[in-house]
Amino acid sequence: MGFFYGLDAEAYDRQYSDKQLVRRIGAYFAPRKKLVITVGLLTAGLSLLGAAQPFVIAHGLDLLVADRKRWDVLIGLTLFMLVFGLSNWGGNWLRRRLTARVIGDVVTELRTDAFRAVMNHDMSFFDEFRSGRIISRITSDTEEFYQVVQLITDLIGQVLLLVILLAALFTVSWPLTLMLIVLAPLVLLFSWAFRRIARRVTQRGFRVLAEVNAAIQEAVTGISVAKNFRQEGTIYDEFSRVNLQSYRVNLLRGYTLAAVFPVLNMLSGLGTAILVYWGGLYVLGGSISIGSWYLFIISVDRFWFPMINISAFWSQVQGGLSASERIFALIDATPTVHQIATRPVGVLRGAIDFDRVSFRYSEQVQVLDDFDLHIAPGESVALVGHTGAGKSSIAKLIARFYEFQGGRISVDGRDIRTFNLQDYRRHLGIVSQMPFLFSGTVADNIRYARPELADAEIEVVARQIGGGEWFDVMPQGLDTDVGERGSRLSMGQRQLVALMRVLVRDVSIFILDEATASIDPFTEMQIQEAMRLILRHTTSIVIAHRLSTVRSVDRIIVLRKGRIIEEGDHDALMARGGHYAELYDTYFRHQSLAYVEEVGRRRHASAPGE
Amino acid sequence: MSVSEFTIPRQWQSNKQNPTRWLLSHVKRHWLFVLGVLVGAIGNAILAAAMPLLIGQAFDVVMKAAPSRHALYMLAFWIAVTQIVRGGVLQLLRNGSSETLGQKIERDIRDELYGILLGKSMSFHDSYPTGDLMARATNDVREINLMFNPGINLVIGSAMFMIMPLFSAPMINPQLVIVPAAYLVVYIFVIKAYLRELSPAAKAVRARFGQMNTALAEAIDGVEVVKGSAQEEHEIGRFVRTIVRWRDAFIVQANIEARFIPLLLLGLLEAIGLMHSLLLFRAGQIGVGDVIAFNGLLMLFGFPTFVAQFAYSRVSSGFASANRLLELINNADAAMDENITGYDAPMQGDVVFDHVTFGYQRHSGGDSQTAQSESSALTLQDISFHVRPGQTVAIVGQTGAGKSTITKLINRIYDVNGGRILVDGVDVRDWNLAALRRQISVIEQDIFLFSRSVAENIAFGYPGATRTDIIAAAKAAQAHDFILSFKDGYDTVIGERGVNISGGQRQRLAIARAFLTNPAILILDDATSAIDSETEDKIQQAIEKVAARQTTFLITHRLSQIRWADLIIVMRQGQVVAVGSHEELLARSEPYRAIFARY
Repeated sequence: MGFFYGLDAEAYDRQYSDKQLVRRIGAYFAPRKKLVITVGLLTAGLSLLGAAQPFVIAHGLDLLVADRKRWDVLIGLTLFMLVFGLSNWGGNWLRRRLTARVIGDVVTELRTDAFRAVMNHDMSFFDEFRSGRIISRITSDTEEFYQVVQLITDLIGQVLLLVILLAALFTVSWPLTLMLIVLAPLVLLFSWAFRRIARRVTQRGFRVLAEVNAAIQEAVTGISVAKNFRQEGTIYDEFSRVNLQSYRVNLLRGYTLAAVFPVLNMLSGLGTAILVYWGGLYVLGGSISIGSWYLFIISVDRFWFPMINISAFWSQVQGGLSASERIFALIDATPTVHQIATRPVGVLRGAIDFDRVSFRYSEQVQVLDDFDLHIAPGESVALVGHTGAGKSSIAKLIARFYEFQGGRISVDGRDIRTFNLQDYRRHLGIVSQMPFLFSGTVADNIRYARPELADAEIEVVARQIGGGEWFDVMPQGLDTDVGERGSRLSMGQRQLVALMRVLVRDVSIFILDEATASIDPFTEMQIQEAMRLILRHTTSIVIAHRLSTVRSVDRIIVLRKGRIIEEGDHDALMARGGHYAELYDTYFRHQSLAYVEEVGRRRHASAPGE
Repeated sequence: MSVSEFTIPRQWQSNKQNPTRWLLSHVKRHWLFVLGVLVGAIGNAILAAAMPLLIGQAFDVVMKAAPSRHALYMLAFWIAVTQIVRGGVLQLLRNGSSETLGQKIERDIRDELYGILLGKSMSFHDSYPTGDLMARATNDVREINLMFNPGINLVIGSAMFMIMPLFSAPMINPQLVIVPAAYLVVYIFVIKAYLRELSPAAKAVRARFGQMNTALAEAIDGVEVVKGSAQEEHEIGRFVRTIVRWRDAFIVQANIEARFIPLLLLGLLEAIGLMHSLLLFRAGQIGVGDVIAFNGLLMLFGFPTFVAQFAYSRVSSGFASANRLLELINNADAAMDENITGYDAPMQGDVVFDHVTFGYQRHSGGDSQTAQSESSALTLQDISFHVRPGQTVAIVGQTGAGKSTITKLINRIYDVNGGRILVDGVDVRDWNLAALRRQISVIEQDIFLFSRSVAENIAFGYPGATRTDIIAAAKAAQAHDFILSFKDGYDTVIGERGVNISGGQRQRLAIARAFLTNPAILILDDATSAIDSETEDKIQQAIEKVAARQTTFLITHRLSQIRWADLIIVMRQGQVVAVGSHEELLARSEPYRAIFARY
């Protein structure tokens, strides 16, 4: 559990001046001006009432000391206390209700804005920034923001009360007021110092707790290994050590935190003793009344409580401001993909041209430089090459997930930058290496981009592959729940669903990044069948990892360091004995039947007896 | 004592009958600290009540016809002393004891739970998703700490504050007990009603926050699909709906909290208490000092009023956590014992499946939403085959056909439901569990490496191994070269879940780990999937070398491994559809022919 998770700076973070921040935050509150003003007035009214109460009681006390038989004072005081209790409760009720309404709305709007901004970023943004961090900005930072807003409104009320009370007490007796506040610096200093220590021990506590959690996580996830090797004892010893360490550190932290209120109570008791003694002397000396003495004594608690909170005020406000700064930085980050026009796309035939394109991911090395490529409508090409050769960059540029720095990419002769992006992408079918499935059923995932499709229509398409056996073996067929991110399906099944997602749409350009991990031979056959259906009549760009794929495409494009060094079909390229032959040895050979036989020969050679 | 695959010897035992007894049995061992909390809480309340009484006396002193400065001084002195003792001794004692108690119990329970989890069978571990177990072992254990401290600490503390005026008010005038006593009764009802109303509302807010988080995480992790299918607006709409649902729940909860009736009750208490004391004052039964003392006592009720919400919910969520933990601890599903007296002999590697039937048991604790694949419906039905020592067996079939399940039955990670499995002619259930598992090595699909050094990981199954042994095993698994390329070689510490090494490298480390234990039966569950052609050659040779001596089960997608196995088992939906050698199957099995026909 990262207590400080999300606090790390990101590249898109920027500094806002406090003024900018306050104005930005203000803009969210502005549409609810009436509510905000009402809350402010209520807060002021409640503070005034809270400050007035001890004065009324003290005055009543004086009157009764003079004449204990006065009914009017007795009834008046009782009524006042009843009204005070009722209006204090009622006022707080209204204030908190309204505050919650305002905060709920503001946070909703803030989260919506942040999410919309994130969704409109291009893929380079998601490559660069971990999704966990982005999520914590949208959820946790907004949460922190509203908690601080809530604290601040509470605190403003308390501080207001404190100021009014002190001002009024000064008019009664300034020496006693000074005695009341003489301990204040001590309290503030103590709270401040304590906060620093507490932060340090808390940090250590969280760190060691994270270690314990990691140890548990390791045991829970690695339990089958431990059981297979019968090594439960060793991982228990390891855990036991961390657990004890966590106990010691957290006990220290606990003791530190447990000391704060006792110390503050001691100080407050001391303050009361001072006022009892000096106040009593002043009464004896005749400079104040009994009621005023009482007034000072009951003011001690009313004074103390806000004092403790004030010392935390600035760090809380700063926490809230920096949380809002992180949210605004996320909202304001500028997307790098830039469309110069948003023309409707119409019908696409799928001719793709790269004309002297240069491309790099942000600041890193040049991936493509002066790159030319023409893909004819309906043609299928396989891109092969080592990692970093530029295969996926080409695919991603066609999908317009990234901005390129030079040259021109056109589809059907039209500049890709002039398209309405969403409209354009409706013509693309993209399947990535690790296909992502949304939680829901298999059918839900297939119809993701075409929500109007009926189950029957989906089944018709799905039956085109191996007669539908691929979904018949799932527990509930097409209604099988795929689990979180598709975790209940095998990698091969996920690939199939992702291909299905493309099959039900009528796309003009198909982009596939094949899985590298091996898939069982039965599912593999079905995937190939699905691919054949798509490849047949769609312009296709495949980042190939399968021998069967490179054999079935119209053209293989061999890439090295962002350049096309060989082109042609499998047999021609093998015959050349160039880079492709080398790649074949590394990535494809072991999938071939020739290799199977070769293994057999080797086995017979090494074990002639068998 | 329940059966377990593994137990830790310890001096104490807890009572696991029900949550209350379980918690009490843990508390009992630290009774000194319980005493500290009680003494501290009672003393604290007494001295807190002493202050208004002393202040009242001070007023009486000043209002006397012949006031004594010395008496006033002494009273102020006592106020200072009592409050310093109260804060500096009693509250510290109370908080410190409760803190120690909470931490000790957290430590003990976590230790107990960890040991129990290690002893649970694999079917137990399968029925609880990792996330669920993690949440219980971390958050729920912590909740129990928080339940004692501050939860129960505050409950005891505030109870004392409410009881104290019942004793000290009559010291001023017996009649004055009426208002505090009446308040106490009403308070209990009001706070109960309030908490009953609040808890579902708070739960709803948390649940909807979770839903919002899930929707967000899904949209962001799947952003490429979202963009690729131009569904941004759809996702924004979906997310906004979850936020609005969160906001509605948030406002409902806030409205309940705003209506906090105990605050109103406190206001009424102060008004009626004041009136009562003034009536007695008017009748001459008490003096000014008494009025002040009594109204000061009423202020003690402020503390229980304001901490109530916080303290009780801590205690109740602590109980809920204890319940969840105990459910886990007492779940004895398919528990296996260590069978210490069982058969124990060097293994030859002869394996027989005799009409084996098996189904995974899904426990209710395993949330159906997150349960893993190869799920409940799937069983092995009537599986029979015979593997002789030294044979290499390839098991082929689609995901979910039951391939991995077969291997998990051999080393008795699970027990069969019907039929039997014989290893060297002895039913696996009659083997000494440790002897059985030690002589069988499994290299799993999802390879798990511990956050330790490379050498320690390789030696995991054989802690006594020398560096030479480890290096030999690594060389055999084609792992030596890449290990040396790491900064610290064999002492390189692997990051969490082995993130800083590639899939192929992990597979080779796992193979080295298995080689080192020199098992009689070696099981590779799709363990070479992420390896390229070149390394594949070398690893295959290494496996072949081992396989010549040992019984080897290969769950594999590689045609080269399937082709040359001594025995091939083709599975489909939990059943064996064909068994035999490559040539036999090519002749007999249609699906088998299909996978070789495509080239």
